[in-house]
Amino acid sequence: MRNFARRGSTLLPWLLAGLLAAAPAATPSWGLAVQPLNVVGTLPSAEWEAYRSRFVEDNGRVVDNANGNISHSEGQGYGLLLALAANDRVTFEKIWTFIFTELLIRDDGLVAWKWDPAARPRVTDSNNATDGDILIAYALAKAATAWKEPRYAAAAQKLARAIGKNTFGRIGGSVFLLPGAEGFNEGERPDGPVVNLSYWVFEAFPVLAGLAPEYKWNSVWREGVGLLQQATSGRIRLPADWISIQRRMQTKPADGFPPEFGYNSLRIPLYLLRAGMTDLEWLRALRQRWSAGNEGVAVVNVVTGNIRERLTDQGYTILSAALACALDGTPVPEGLKTFQPQLYYPSTLYLMTKSWLGEKHPQCV
Amino acid sequence: MRLTSSAITIAVLGLGFTAIAQQQGPAEGQPPSTAPSAPSSNQPQVDESALRYFASQGDTRRVNAEIARLRALYPNWTPPSDLSQLSAGAVAADPIIERLWNLYKEDRVAEVRAAIAERQSSDPNWKPPDELVTALDTVEARRRLVNASDSGQWRTVLTVATENPNLLTCMNVDVLWRVAEAFAKTGQPDRTRDVYTYLLTNCANPGERLATLQKALALLPDNQVADLLQFERKTGDEPDNFDSIRGELARRRVERAANDETMTASAEDLATVDRLIRSSDEPGPVLVLAWYNYHHGNPARALELFKTALDRNGGGKAAEGYAMSLRALERLVEAEAFAYDWRDRAPANMKIYLDVATALLAQDPPPRLEARIVSRIVPVVASQRFPDGAQAIGWYSYNTGQYQRAREWFRQALKWRADDEPSAYGLALSAQQLNDRANFNAIVAQWRDRSERIADLAAGATPRASRQRVSQGQLLQPADREPQVSVRSVSVRTEAPRAFVERSTVEAEPRLRRGGHRTCVMTRNSKGLAPDTALTLGWCLMEADRPMEAVDAFDQAIRRGSARTREEAAYGKSLAYLRKNLTAEAAVAAAQTPQTGGRRIELSASILGQRALAAYRDGRYVEAILALSERARIVPEQTDLMLIRGWSYYRLGRYDDAEKIFRAVQRTGSSKEAGVGLNAVMEARYPTRQ
Repeated sequence: MRNFARRGSTLLPWLLAGLLAAAPAATPSWGLAVQPLNVVGTLPSAEWEAYRSRFVEDNGRVVDNANGNISHSEGQGYGLLLALAANDRVTFEKIWTFIFTELLIRDDGLVAWKWDPAARPRVTDSNNATDGDILIAYALAKAATAWKEPRYAAAAQKLARAIGKNTFGRIGGSVFLLPGAEGFNEGERPDGPVVNLSYWVFEAFPVLAGLAPEYKWNSVWREGVGLLQQATSGRIRLPADWISIQRRMQTKPADGFPPEFGYNSLRIPLYLLRAGMTDLEWLRALRQRWSAGNEGVAVVNVVTGNIRERLTDQGYTILSAALACALDGTPVPEGLKTFQPQLYYPSTLYLMTKSWLGEKHPQCV
Repeated sequence: MRLTSSAITIAVLGLGFTAIAQQQGPAEGQPPSTAPSAPSSNQPQVDESALRYFASQGDTRRVNAEIARLRALYPNWTPPSDLSQLSAGAVAADPIIERLWNLYKEDRVAEVRAAIAERQSSDPNWKPPDELVTALDTVEARRRLVNASDSGQWRTVLTVATENPNLLTCMNVDVLWRVAEAFAKTGQPDRTRDVYTYLLTNCANPGERLATLQKALALLPDNQVADLLQFERKTGDEPDNFDSIRGELARRRVERAANDETMTASAEDLATVDRLIRSSDEPGPVLVLAWYNYHHGNPARALELFKTALDRNGGGKAAEGYAMSLRALERLVEAEAFAYDWRDRAPANMKIYLDVATALLAQDPPPRLEARIVSRIVPVVASQRFPDGAQAIGWYSYNTGQYQRAREWFRQALKWRADDEPSAYGLALSAQQLNDRANFNAIVAQWRDRSERIADLAAGATPRASRQRVSQGQLLQPADREPQVSVRSVSVRTEAPRAFVERSTVEAEPRLRRGGHRTCVMTRNSKGLAPDTALTLGWCLMEADRPMEAVDAFDQAIRRGSARTREEAAYGKSLAYLRKNLTAEAAVAAAQTPQTGGRRIELSASILGQRALAAYRDGRYVEAILALSERARIVPEQTDLMLIRGWSYYRLGRYDDAEKIFRAVQRTGSSKEAGVGLNAVMEARYPTRQ
C-alpha cells in the first residue's frame, strides 16, 4: 500500500504521551511467536456479503472507493484473505483472476501495485508494493491448502520466490523488507534504505518460508520486530509510517513523508495480534494510549506527539477493542458488533479484525 | 477471411523458446521440439463443442475465430464443411456448459473461472471441457501479454508468448507485433525481424501487413526494413502497397546524407523526397532536402527550400537553415535582418544570429552598415556574452577608426574568453593607436610568448608602423561612414617565417596568385563559407602568417569545392603545415587531393627537406640521410641540405662520405661552412694531433 488519503474524524482529547521505556529486545523464533491461523470460515457470510457487494466488482476488482475507485495489490490481497475467511471460493477465484491478468505482469514476478480504471494503460505505476505481494502470496498459499487447488499453490510459490529475490534488502548484517523493489534501497534515495513497518504481515512469514525456504524469511521477520522496538523507543513511543533505517540503531522518519503514526501503521498492532505476537510490551503501551479514557485511535505526529486526526470509523476503533480483548479479555462493545461498511480501508480493517476475533477470541464478540 | 497456417505458430514459437532460453537459462523453458511436434504426432480428438455452440448461436465471427484457433492447434484438422449442420441440437447437454460459454462470449473471464471453481467445489469430479479451459487460458494469456507490453514488462511478454503458442497466429496480429517489440526491447532485433517475416509470409490482411512494416520502421535498422519489402504482394485480390515505406526509407537516407557531407544521396532517393514534398503540406521532407542541399554545396537551392519549409510552418529549424543559407551565399545583411527576428525562438536560432552578426561585422573591408543594425547587434552580443561577437565589434570599430571602442570590445572579448589571441592582438593594436603604453605593455607582457605577431608588434617592425600611421588619419571617423583601407593588413608578414627549406617557392605561390589582395575576412569560423571564398581566405591568412587558421579555411574549401578548388586548397593546406614545421600533417594534406606534377614535386621536396631537418635535429641521422636521398631523386640538392647530409655522415662516423660531401660544398663556393666540416672530419680522424 502507499499513502492513500484515509478519512476519519476526531473524538477524544490527547492526554498523555508514551509511558514506558523500551522493552528489552526479544528475539523469539517464530515457532514460538507466530501462531498459525486457520482463516477459513472465520467470517460470517452476512458481513462478507456486505463487503463483497460494496467493494468487489464481478471481474474480481477490489475497489478503493476513497481513492478515485482505483485498485491496488494490497486491496486485492485483503480481498483474497477475506474471501477465504468467508469460504467464498467464487469470489476468491474472481479476485485472483483479476490479479493474474491485470497486475501480475512484472518481469520480476511481483505484482504491479496500482490500477486506475480512468487511466490508459490502467497500471499507472508498475512498481510493486511488498505488503500487497505478501498478502496475495499468503492468501493463495492458505487457499491452496484449504481448497486443495494446485494452481493457487504454484502461484503462491512463484510469488514467494519473487518476494524473497527482489524485496529483501541488506544493510550491515541484517536483512529487511523493502517496501518496493525499486526506489527505497540504499543509494536509491538519500536517506535510503526506507522501510514501512506495516508491510511486515508477520503471520505470513512462516507460510512463505515454507514455499521459498531459500530466502531468509526468519531473519526478515526478526528484523521487523527489532526495528519496531527501535522505532517505538522514543518519547512518543509510536513509529512513523515511513522510516529511514540508514542508521539502524537510530531510525528516523523518512524524508518526504509526514513524520506520522498514520493509516499505514495502524495495521501493525493488527498484524501482531493476528500472528499471536502479543508479548510485545509496546502493545500494552498502545492499548493504554488507545483506551477510551485516553486519546484513542489517532494519526499522531511522532516527533511532537500532536494529534492530527482522530479516527472514529468502526474499522479503526475495533483495532483498539481487539487489543483490549487480546490483552485483558475485554469484550468488544456492542456498538462495534454490527458491520456498517462505507469506505474500503476501514471496512477492510474491520473484517480483518473480526475474522481474527472470530477464530481466536469468539468470547469477545 | 483467410486463415493462418500453423507454420507461424511453430516458427515464432521456436524463436520464442530460443529467446526465453537465452534469458532464463534452459531449466525453465520447454524444449523447443515438444510444442510444435505434439499436435501432429498423435492425432488428438478435436473438441468442436465451442465451434458447435457458436455456430448454433449464429455467431459467425467467433465461429471463424474458433476454426482458426483449432487449425493453429491441429494442422491436420479440417473444419466441418457445412456449418448449417451444426444445429442447436448438437450443443452439449450440460446446461452449465452453455452458461460458461455465454459468459466467455461476453468476455467475462473471471466469472467463468469462478463458476468452474464453484461447480468443482460441489462436484470435485466435474471437469470443464478442455476447449473451454484452453479458450480461457488463451484469453487470459492475451490480456497478460497486452498489459505487460503496455507497462514495458518485455520479459513477461516473451514468457507469456512462449507458454501460450496458440496466441501467435494471424488471428492475433496485435500480439505478434507486441512480441516483436518485446524482442526488440530486449536486445534481440533479429528475432523481431523474424516475427515480422513470418507475419508477412503468412498473414493476409493488407492493412495489417502495411502496419507491420510501419512497426518495423520504428524498431528495426533501415536495411532490415528494406529487406522486408521483398514480401510485398503485388498480385491477388488485395495487393500490398508499400510505397509509403519506401518513401520513408528514402527520406531517412537523404536525411542521413543531409547531415553528413561525405555521404551522397542517390538521385532516386532525392526524387522520392521531392515527390514526398509535392504530395504533402508537411515541412518535414522539405527540411530534409533543404539541409541536404545546404550541406552539399548548394545554398541557393537550400534557401528556396527553407523558404518553403517556413511557409509550411517549419518553425525555428527552418529559420535556422534559412539564415545559414543566406550566410553561405554571403548575403549577410539579409541574413542578419532575418535571423534577428528569429533569435529568441530557440538556442540554435540565437547561435546562428550571433554567427551571422559576427560575420557581418567582421567583413574586411568593413561594410557600410546602418547605425541601427550595429546598435541592435551590440546588446545581443552583450547579453549572450559571446566572445566572437565582441571581437568582431572590436575589429569593426578598429577598422572604422573607433579605437577606444575597439579597445573596450577586445577587452570584453578577452574577459569572456581569456585565450582569444586575435582579441589580444586587436587590443594591442588599439592600445598602440591610442598611444596607450600602459595597456600595450601589459598585453605584450602577457602574450609575447604565445603570439608571434604580438611579440613582433612590441619589437616595432618599421614597415608595420608606417602602415599604421596611414590609417590614423581616420581615427575619428564614425562607424557608419565608409571605411578606408583596413588597418588589419598590417598583420601581413613581409618576411617569411620559419620555412627553412624552399622558402622562396612556398611563399611566392600565394603572392603570385592573389596579387594585391592582402586583407582577410575576420571570421573565426570558416564553416559556412562558399568554397572559393574559403580558398581566398586561406591564402589571405597564409599571407598574414596565420597558417593554422589558414588550415581551417583550406579545409572548408576541400570539403565543398570543385576538384580544382580542392586541389589548390590541399596545396595551400600542405604549405600551411610546412610553415608550422608540421611535416607529417603536410604530407597527409598533400595526399588528400591529387596535385599536378609541378606542385607535387614542390610539395614533396619541401616535405622531405623538413623531414630530413627534423630527423637531424633529433639525432636520427640515418633517417635524415634517407629523406635527403629520397628528395635528391626528385630535385637537385641545395647547399644547405648538402651540409646537413655531410654532418649526418660525420655523426655516423662515415668520415669518407662526410669529407666527400664537404668538399663538394666547398666547390660550390660555400667554403666557410665546408671548411668547418672538413676540420671536424680531420679532428675525428686524427684526434691525437695537437
